[in-house]
Amino acid sequence: MIQISLKHLLNKKEVSGLLDELLAAMKININIYGIDGISLTGNEDIEPGEKYSVELGKEVIGWIWGPAPQAKTVAQFLSYLANKELEKKVLAEETLEKYKEINVFYEIGEKLAGNLNKYEIAILTLNEARRLIPGEDYFILFYNEDDKRFENISLGGSNTEEPFGPKKEIAENVLHNGKAELINDLGADHRFSGKSLNIVSMICAPLKTKNQNIGVIGISSTAKLNYTAQDLKILNALSFYVATTIQTAKLYDDLKETFVTTIYTLAETIEKRDPYTGGHTRRVMAYSVAIAQVLQLPQDAIERVRMAAILHDIGKIGVSDSILLKSGELTEEEFQEIKMHPIYGEEILKHIKQLHDIIPGVKFHHERYDGLGYPENLAGKEIDLTARIVAVADSFDAMTTNRSYKDALPLELALDELRINAGTQFDPLIVNAFLHGCETGIVKLWR
Amino acid sequence: MPKILIADDEILFQILLERALEELEDEGVELLFADDGEKALKIIYEQKPELVFLDLVMPRLNGLEICNAVKKVHCIRDVFIIMLTSRGEEYDRRKGMEFGADLYYTKPFNPDEILQNAREILGL
Repeated sequence: MIQISLKHLLNKKEVSGLLDELLAAMKININIYGIDGISLTGNEDIEPGEKYSVELGKEVIGWIWGPAPQAKTVAQFLSYLANKELEKKVLAEETLEKYKEINVFYEIGEKLAGNLNKYEIAILTLNEARRLIPGEDYFILFYNEDDKRFENISLGGSNTEEPFGPKKEIAENVLHNGKAELINDLGADHRFSGKSLNIVSMICAPLKTKNQNIGVIGISSTAKLNYTAQDLKILNALSFYVATTIQTAKLYDDLKETFVTTIYTLAETIEKRDPYTGGHTRRVMAYSVAIAQVLQLPQDAIERVRMAAILHDIGKIGVSDSILLKSGELTEEEFQEIKMHPIYGEEILKHIKQLHDIIPGVKFHHERYDGLGYPENLAGKEIDLTARIVAVADSFDAMTTNRSYKDALPLELALDELRINAGTQFDPLIVNAFLHGCETGIVKLWR
Repeated sequence: MPKILIADDEILFQILLERALEELEDEGVELLFADDGEKALKIIYEQKPELVFLDLVMPRLNGLEICNAVKKVHCIRDVFIIMLTSRGEEYDRRKGMEFGADLYYTKPFNPDEILQNAREILGL
């Protein structure tokens, strides 16, 4: 509620200066009293004269005591100024409200630009809604097509349970009609007459994406509130932000999944050339990711490990069947050909921009910790971390599965081999992580 | 009685800041106004406000020049200067700090934030 006090008005230098000049020109003295009866001029000893009210609209905000008719003019003059001052403040207040909205949308736009899941998006949006619109329960209900239920994410209200009563009924209506609702008194709404109600006022808007409504956003209150068309407009704008951001996030996830599936299929296709290595890609991936998890690498690094493990042997596509599938011992020349596959891998992957950062993991997975590996004789920490991880996973799987040239080792013996070769063939840190993963169940061994 | 100077050549922003800070007036804070750079500087020297909202672009003296005069030339330390810039206006935050601005806001500013910051700065 915007208020104007006579005291506040007279404190303004322009007003008090003008008033002094006016009184001097009229050659009169007056006394001014505020609504509380306290003198604002301090010269109470002068002759009282007549009493005139200073009015703001129809409300009296003070009095002028002084000689008629001049004092009446002064009272009218101050009334006029007070009304102008009120108009100015009302306009300023409206503009500041707009400023608040603009700031909320700026901030929400910036925050939503980050990579968020739908729950983070929901909480963030509800927090912003709370800054602009009054209420108690700020909620987003995501609709699940499969079980026909709402998932309730709420600030200020109850978070766990499924919505029920009018909240659910209105949400269903908004979801299916795709139109927002504003109800200030649920008791007066024919749908709810005679029912016992746990909320009184509510506004609710659909979360629309291109193909369907994915849920609703709403605000409710147990006390009666006067929601306005303006509130609903803001809620609609917020719902637009939520829906489009969630849709974008989903498209991004779909795209990523498609990409990974394509890569995985490609790797498996190559694997099919050698019947002995069936499931090798899948196991190397699982071992490598488990090692990365034991090492507590950040999520993006774990994803790189996953991709490099899937693609570590992609270069074998460039090695001829006669060598790759040979059951007897390889000649020196044939072995040199096999040793080219990490380099072929690099050549294939460098054409795919999204996979550039996994090239070291593929190219160097046959390097040895002591520098006696290939293709570049790198040693120790010179070897990319992902490559050191894939090296352990790849060797362990090769030892524990049947190949054309040898039978599988029992698991315990293979684990011993890792221990024995830690520090020479393998990075001891990675071997320890693998062994630790086996003990704690993070690494799941195939038998 | 603490004083706040609002220096902006656009009357609209004077009115808006006045409204945003009105609560403080009831607590005894005096609001002063200036609509150009020279007047703003005169008020800073003579009335010594604790907090100044300074528009970057003003006639006669711009915000940075005033900042520089107050903080660097006259070394007045007990005044907190908040620079006001328009969104999209070229404002180099580091340059502002170099000249002595303590904080800056972009218009349209957030009125709640302005009030809260003013309270903190004045210790109210």
